[in-house]
Amino acid sequence: MEKIKNRILEVVPEAVVVSEAPLTVSVPPLPFYDLARRLRDDEDMRFDYLVCMTGVDEGESLGVVYHLRSTVYGHELVLRTAALDRENPELASVVDIWATANLNEREVFDFFGIRFINHPDMRRLFLRNDWVGYPLRKDYNADEKINPVRLESEETIDVAPAYEASRDGEVEEIEHVLFKEGEYVVNIGPQHPATHGVLRFRVQLDGEIVRKVDVNCGYIHRGIEKMCESLTYPQMLALTDRLDYLSAHQNRHALCLCIEDALQIEVPERVKYIRTIMDELTRLQSHLLFWSTFCMDLGALTAFFYGFRDREKILDMFEETCGGRLIMNYNVVGGVMQDIHPNLVHRIKDFIKYLPPMLKEYHEVFTGNIIAQQRMKGIGLLSREDAISYGVTGPSGRASGWACDVRKIHPYGVYDKVDFKEIVREDGDVFGRYMVRMEEILQSLHILEQLVDNIPEGDFAVKTKPIIRLPEGNYFRSVEASRGEFGVYIESRGDKFPYRVKFRSPGLPLVSVVDLLARDGKIADLIAVGGSLDYVVPDIDR
Amino acid sequence: MAMSNSFTRYISSFWKGLWSLLKGMRRTIIIFFRKKTTECYPENRATLVISDRFRGELVMPHDENNQHKCVACGICEMNCPNDSIHIESEMVEDENGKKTKVLRRYNYDLGSCLFCQLCVRGCPHGAIEFRNTFEHAVFTREKLVKQLNREGSTVVKKR
Amino acid sequence: MFDFAVVTEWVDGLLRSWLPESWAVLAEFFLIGLCLLLAYAVIALVLILAERKVCAYFQCRLGPNRVGPWGLTQSVADMFKMLIKELIQVRHVDNFLFNLAPYIVIISSVLAFGCIPYAKGLEIIDFNVGIFFLLAVSSIGIVGILLAGWSSNNKYSLIGAMRSGAQMISYELSIGLSILTMVVFSGSMQLSTIVESQADGWFLFRGHIPAFIAFIVYLIAGTAETNRGPFDLPEADSELTAGYHTEYSGMHFGFFYLAEFLNMFIVASVAATLFLGGWMPLHIPGWEGFNAAMDWIPSIFWFIGKVAVMIFIIMWFKWTFPRLRIDQLLRLEWKYLLPLNLCNLLLMVIVVVFNLHF
Repeated sequence: MEKIKNRILEVVPEAVVVSEAPLTVSVPPLPFYDLARRLRDDEDMRFDYLVCMTGVDEGESLGVVYHLRSTVYGHELVLRTAALDRENPELASVVDIWATANLNEREVFDFFGIRFINHPDMRRLFLRNDWVGYPLRKDYNADEKINPVRLESEETIDVAPAYEASRDGEVEEIEHVLFKEGEYVVNIGPQHPATHGVLRFRVQLDGEIVRKVDVNCGYIHRGIEKMCESLTYPQMLALTDRLDYLSAHQNRHALCLCIEDALQIEVPERVKYIRTIMDELTRLQSHLLFWSTFCMDLGALTAFFYGFRDREKILDMFEETCGGRLIMNYNVVGGVMQDIHPNLVHRIKDFIKYLPPMLKEYHEVFTGNIIAQQRMKGIGLLSREDAISYGVTGPSGRASGWACDVRKIHPYGVYDKVDFKEIVREDGDVFGRYMVRMEEILQSLHILEQLVDNIPEGDFAVKTKPIIRLPEGNYFRSVEASRGEFGVYIESRGDKFPYRVKFRSPGLPLVSVVDLLARDGKIADLIAVGGSLDYVVPDIDR
Repeated sequence: MAMSNSFTRYISSFWKGLWSLLKGMRRTIIIFFRKKTTECYPENRATLVISDRFRGELVMPHDENNQHKCVACGICEMNCPNDSIHIESEMVEDENGKKTKVLRRYNYDLGSCLFCQLCVRGCPHGAIEFRNTFEHAVFTREKLVKQLNREGSTVVKKR
Repeated sequence: MFDFAVVTEWVDGLLRSWLPESWAVLAEFFLIGLCLLLAYAVIALVLILAERKVCAYFQCRLGPNRVGPWGLTQSVADMFKMLIKELIQVRHVDNFLFNLAPYIVIISSVLAFGCIPYAKGLEIIDFNVGIFFLLAVSSIGIVGILLAGWSSNNKYSLIGAMRSGAQMISYELSIGLSILTMVVFSGSMQLSTIVESQADGWFLFRGHIPAFIAFIVYLIAGTAETNRGPFDLPEADSELTAGYHTEYSGMHFGFFYLAEFLNMFIVASVAATLFLGGWMPLHIPGWEGFNAAMDWIPSIFWFIGKVAVMIFIIMWFKWTFPRLRIDQLLRLEWKYLLPLNLCNLLLMVIVVVFNLHF
């Protein structure tokens, strides 16, 4: 770490080291781009994975926080930079260094108005194009007269603005043409059976062949990050279940971990066991749902019901212990809401026995089927480099050969005590992503098997103060949610409300690779690719 | 040689494909004759098991004297992330001349409730709880706004 | 065995005794048309209910069980709903073609429906190129589907219609060739003759290997021809929402829906007629007692039973397999079914010439 610090200071002498652990460096905007490139390319650093990119209103300037990780060495770094001019904020784009920055920079532009120079496509990501102001700035005027509820539909733009720096540093606006006149552009979504929610793809077709996919998000954007800024920490918890509703426990686990870290609360061992069990149950139900919906996308409607039949059993367990089936609302700061239900342990044991024969049936009905095989194999290839650059984590990333499991990299809960295999496959196609999930189901069962009999006695929660104030500082924690790395970044100024909250959703990178994977395939392949990535729309839009 | 090779592959792929299809069909026909999982609600209402912890709606338990435990302190109202709870209270002078806050109306909007349990957890007197009822469908949103304290109810006196 | 000709001749005689000849014929036309349409509607309703029940049972569900006992009147209720629904006028469509298309589809399927020999003496259209006529009229339906997709002025519909066109034209070949194989075997294109000649053994058994291959190919191609899963690409709900009939509403949608189910019935009954002896009871040469017992069952039940089995198999396909992609669909036809079919035709010719059949 010392070496990295020195190397950064060597390249940018005016950089300021804000904190040592995690290493946080504040860099002025001008040399930022060159430093970023060095960080990725330098043999000793190789920060090739941009975990999370967060815009922050820092008062007189508009900052951006980059969480970087090296997939080669595993070390981590937080970079901060800021656009000093609030009226006309501009920063260099890092799209060509980390491809995941594409949508993330659009998100920052959407919320803070920072224009990224040399970004190919500076449209708003979530809000309407006619939205006035940048809502996550602290001086944003939320008056309903300025942004009334608009009932007319938004005009779709085919020409996106972009900003390019010429050689002498002069910034000029250029036009980035998305779709030319006369091209056959079909809307897949926002209301479409295969987009799993209100997501809209604009697809340029050449007969049956997909030539380009333009992702339009924001149809279920609720401004959860903005809402969090006016909620207390316990209140915030209620919203995390509503991000990716299929990883409700894991999302909430991440936020609880982040707050507990900041408060330096050590949770009892029993809580860790319970949380891990719940995380794995959530992963199981999410992967079962993936199987169901993926089969349905490929036209195997019957399979859909088999998956749901078995998922129901997990939901019943959730209902019994947590009191909710979808929105479980179980983790709290310092523990869990209630102790586990006495029935839970034997229900889990029954389920561990019940599922493997069912999985065999799944494979008979769908996996082995020649039609399904031909529709999955060799379709939507994602290379390891692209997976890292786009930040495609979770089962989709592991199918491309990238061992990105947060449970292994940064064990939390009791993942360091259980034995499980990280499923990594090299194929990188739809079939690979499908098989990773199917094998992860078995691994989850294996984890549950080890935990369920050994839950230690103890309290199910530690007492916390009625009003939680986080000490001033920045906190980032991530967990392995069902579909990738889910991170929470909290910037606190010592209040009972957070100053800025950012959720690193696994869904946004997933949806950003659809264009890459579906290009030059058939329409049916686009559906298969979308199904295999298994994004959840409320998680993308937040 | 290559010709015959690709030909055998053509033939074998045909049979393998056919075999995989037949395997799937065998499995589905087995399931065809299995017991079905459909639950016939509402016929099974009597035998339906809803977990005790299931959060259906917020209620305020009253005892046999039509008394509840709410002292109208407003912690639940403050804790609620979605402004689902509104408490109307008034100051009443008792026979000793001591002024106490008394609950008049406890309004709860089921339609905007997040079921986050912050109100129940925060309540210092255990005056409210979630019940596992679930048949809440109504025709207008106004009907979802409920008054939890019963008409003429009073607060349990502490001794 | 009961001969339905007795009934039809009695009605004919009755009408002729009352009316002059030309009027009697006209009245018969109307009567037959009425019966045909009535049977068409009733069969469609039964099939819709059957499909929903069968699909539910494959999916560990119970299926419709609210309207009537075991949900038996569900599809009748659905029909009334469909009949009273509004026909939504869609802007920017080619109105004439848009409204014409469902009628073309339904007319082609009614025409094909009229060719089938249902029972002994119960054939409406029966002439020397019956099977050829049936093929010809049933392929008119594709024109309706193409028109529907084209006139809807909707990109999904257009893609669906184009897929449908490519699919139908390809699979028509397989259907034609497998039927040709059986025509070679029976030596006749007249449906009644084909059925009669199966009196001492169904073609599926008598024609052994080539007949069996033709049967399988016909089933696959027939399923594809009716746009049913796993060949339901034209309407692929997870890709094109509803394909060529996306823009249709009310009874116009109902026509497509009915035609789809009736086409399945037609495919099943042609398969039953060509391969399983139509209304002919199961006869085993030499077993006189058995044959007599089989003859005792009315011919109409034989026909319905065979068709029901065929329909169940087609549904079984649909509710087991995922959907094919367009290139796989065409590859299956051109690289597997068509060569297989051509070889099979040759094999059948050899079988017939050298008298290798039973």
